[in-house]
Formats: sequence, C-alpha cells, structure tokens
Amino acid sequence: MRPGPALRVVQVGFGTTVQDRGRIGLAHLGVPNSGAVDRRTHDLVNRLVGNPLGAATIETMGGLVVEALRPLVVARSTDASRHTLATGDRVRVDAPAGAVWAYLSVRGGIDVDPVLGSRSHDTLGNVGPPPLEPNSDLPVGPDPGSELVADHAPGDAHGHHRSDRRLRVWDGPQHDWFVGGSHAVVGRPWRVATDVSRVGLRLEVGEFAPTSRAQPRMASAGLIEGAIQVTPSGAPIVMLANHPTTGGYPVIAVVEPDDLPILVQTRPGSTVTFRRA
Amino acid sequence: MRRRPYGPCAWLVVDVDAPAAWASALSRMDVSGVIEIVPAESTVVVRCERTRHDEVGAILDTVVHAESTGDPGPPLTIDVVYDGPDLAELARTARLDVEDVVHLHSSGVYQVAFCGFSPGFGYLRGVDTRLHVPRRDTPRTSVPAGSIGVAAGYTCVYPAASPGGWHLVGRTTTSLWDVERDPPALLRPGRTVRFRSVTP
Repeated sequence: MRPGPALRVVQVGFGTTVQDRGRIGLAHLGVPNSGAVDRRTHDLVNRLVGNPLGAATIETMGGLVVEALRPLVVARSTDASRHTLATGDRVRVDAPAGAVWAYLSVRGGIDVDPVLGSRSHDTLGNVGPPPLEPNSDLPVGPDPGSELVADHAPGDAHGHHRSDRRLRVWDGPQHDWFVGGSHAVVGRPWRVATDVSRVGLRLEVGEFAPTSRAQPRMASAGLIEGAIQVTPSGAPIVMLANHPTTGGYPVIAVVEPDDLPILVQTRPGSTVTFRRA
Repeated sequence: MRRRPYGPCAWLVVDVDAPAAWASALSRMDVSGVIEIVPAESTVVVRCERTRHDEVGAILDTVVHAESTGDPGPPLTIDVVYDGPDLAELARTARLDVEDVVHLHSSGVYQVAFCGFSPGFGYLRGVDTRLHVPRRDTPRTSVPAGSIGVAAGYTCVYPAASPGGWHLVGRTTTSLWDVERDPPALLRPGRTVRFRSVTP
C-alpha cells in the first residue's frame, strides 16, 4: 500500500524539480540521463537521512518552503544538516552561500511514480514527474529501516566554499581539432555565463577563444556529462546532467568527474580555471 | 574502427561502418562495467565505470562487426500531409517541382540510422540524393510535434515541439514517443520506415 501525501510544497522557489540518479541506459533512444545536476550533494543529503543513494530528492535553486503533513526526517544542503519535523513544521531550502543548487532529502525518499525507471524530471525531454507546483503534496516512501549516523556533514564536504576553483580536465576526443589541443582551455580564467540550466554550463568568450583548425563537418556524436563542447563562436559549453544525448560540436576536453560538482555549483559571473588532470 | 578516450569514464569509437549494429553487438556481449552505449552517425560512445575503463577499452577492440541491429520491429508506414512551410523553398533549392519533392520523399524506403537529440527522435537514412540539402541557416525556435523534416541527407519526424533546423515538408499525427507505450519510442536503430502521402 502506498502511504498518502507527506510533504506539502508551500513555496516552490526557483528551478525546483524532483531528482534522483537519473534515467540510465536509454540514451540510444534519445532519452537524456538527467538526474541531480550536483549528484554529490544529492547523495550527501540522502546519506544524512539514511536513504539509499537512489532515493529521489528535491533539487532547487532556492526559495523552496515545504511543510510536513506527518512527522518526517529531512536533510537540506543549505546547512548540510538533518532536521526532525513534527506535523505542520516548515523548512526553507536555499543554496548555501556561494553555491547555485540546493537539495532536500526526506527519509523514505520522494515517492512520485517513476517514469522509465527514474523519478528525475528531465528538463530537456520533459520526461518524468513535472516540475513542482505551489500547494502540491508529495508522497514519501516507507522508512528505509537504516541507522541514522551523522546529523551534519563536515564544513566543506561538498566543496561549495572552495575559493580555488581550479578544475582538472582530460583531453576530449576532438582536442586535436584545436590549436594547442586541450591546452587551449587550460590556465586561463573563464567566467561562468548568467544563464543557469541543468543542460549545460556556458563559459563566456573573453579575449581568448580556442582556435579551431580547418576541419570537415563534425558528425553528430554521443555526449557525456562534463564534456566541453566548443561552439563556432568559440564559447565553451560544459555538458551537465540533463545534456542532450548527441551533439554536433567538437569536444575539446572533459571535466574530471570528481571536480564537476564544484563547477556546477559555481555562481554566474565567477571565474574558474582548468588544469590538466 | 579506432577508439579515443573520452575522459576517465568513456570511450569514443570512431569510423564505425554501422554504428547501430556495432552498438547492438556490444550490448549483446553484456560487458561488465558498461553503463551506456550511444551510437550516432559514424561513432559510438561507450560510457563505463571508471575502474573498468582500460578493460572495457580492450574489449571494444574485440567487438565483431555485426550486420544486424537486433530486432528493430516491423516496417512502419507513417501517413503524412505534405504541406510543410519549407516545401517550396526546398523544391527551389533542389531545382525540382513541389510534386517531385513529395513524390521522392513519399516513395523512399528509409532506415533509422540512429536516435538522439530528443526522446524518440530518429535520424532516417535513405533520402534520395536529389533531396540532400544542408540545414536551414537559421533554426526555428519552435517546430510543432509531428513535423516531418529533411536535412543533411536525413529525414526525421519531430516527436515533440522543440527547436529545429531541418526543412519542414509535412506533418503526421503518428505519435513517435509515448511513455505509456512499451517501448515508448516508435523508432529504434535499424527499423524500416516509409511515408505515405495523405490528404488532410
């Protein structure tokens, strides 16, 4: 039997969707992986409430307020802490200072119906549960029966406050299409553009743009999370969790997966630098 | 085929003769650590667990080229009303009459080369070479669901409203993507598709 609604969305905030670890194995049908854009923080809030890492959480850019319709155990990345809510208690979720995305977990997981094996809202293909609406009620799954260990994550567990945003990159499959290869993006500051999305993170072309060698037309090829595509204008775009399954621009470099969450959480207007992995 | 590292958790296999068939051959090998296999125009991306990157790479070199893509499903006929907004321009570019364009497009036998771009979107090869035209200079910000497009040697059906840069020649009411259906995508690599001209 499915338990009734347990969590009310009082204030929906910005960019608020249900996310899990994504819809895996359907990219050959054009279905993006989707899933939490900062998987590390998604996992962290799940751990804090004793959930399996595949449990669905709520992803938001902030301004989210929820109310417990029954006693609940939740964790938010806002303060990287677990909270016990009585019926009627409210909790607000904002991105931690200097970060972009925040996560809220509920012990038992957000239990909306999975679509094609995932509860992730796919912003690109519009697959999965729709974005959250104000005054909607969400079901929460059964208690996982796990032990609760830490109630708070250590200060910099998810790297949000790291001032040194030097991210490691690997050669991309078309790095040799550019003068200097993947070195062309290394060692210079890149400013993060203002349009935040789950699909890709755009870096602004400054005085420098990678110079493409004369090449035949690029055939559409599969993309992966962290791939840095270079558009004809020279602006690099880093593919995030909800990237399209294929793309037609050359990939100069790939962000080290362990460093990707730091990039994802970099605020627009801030700068990052790349160094070779 | 050759393979290039695509970061520490993936390979890009290039110069593959029949990417969909190659991908399905690899899929049938059920290689431990492989997470996702994405065939495209002439390449296949293989995503794998980081700890298995080297081993998976070595196994990719052993994939025996297969002719078959597995079961692509029975041939499919899609009814099309040929009244697309780009029909006249496409005819001009191809130096044909509109009737010829419709005849050439609706008498072709197509095959899904690969899927991608968006859920249910398939790149259909087999377009008459007289209809090989580049993409539009300026993509449309929104193309209606069911639109039939032609570009870059392929034809397609847009499964959902989305931006798009292909020349639109017609429209269909056939649903290409329906999550309530199993499988949700009507098109999969290798499936044969025909278009039939119908009146609205």
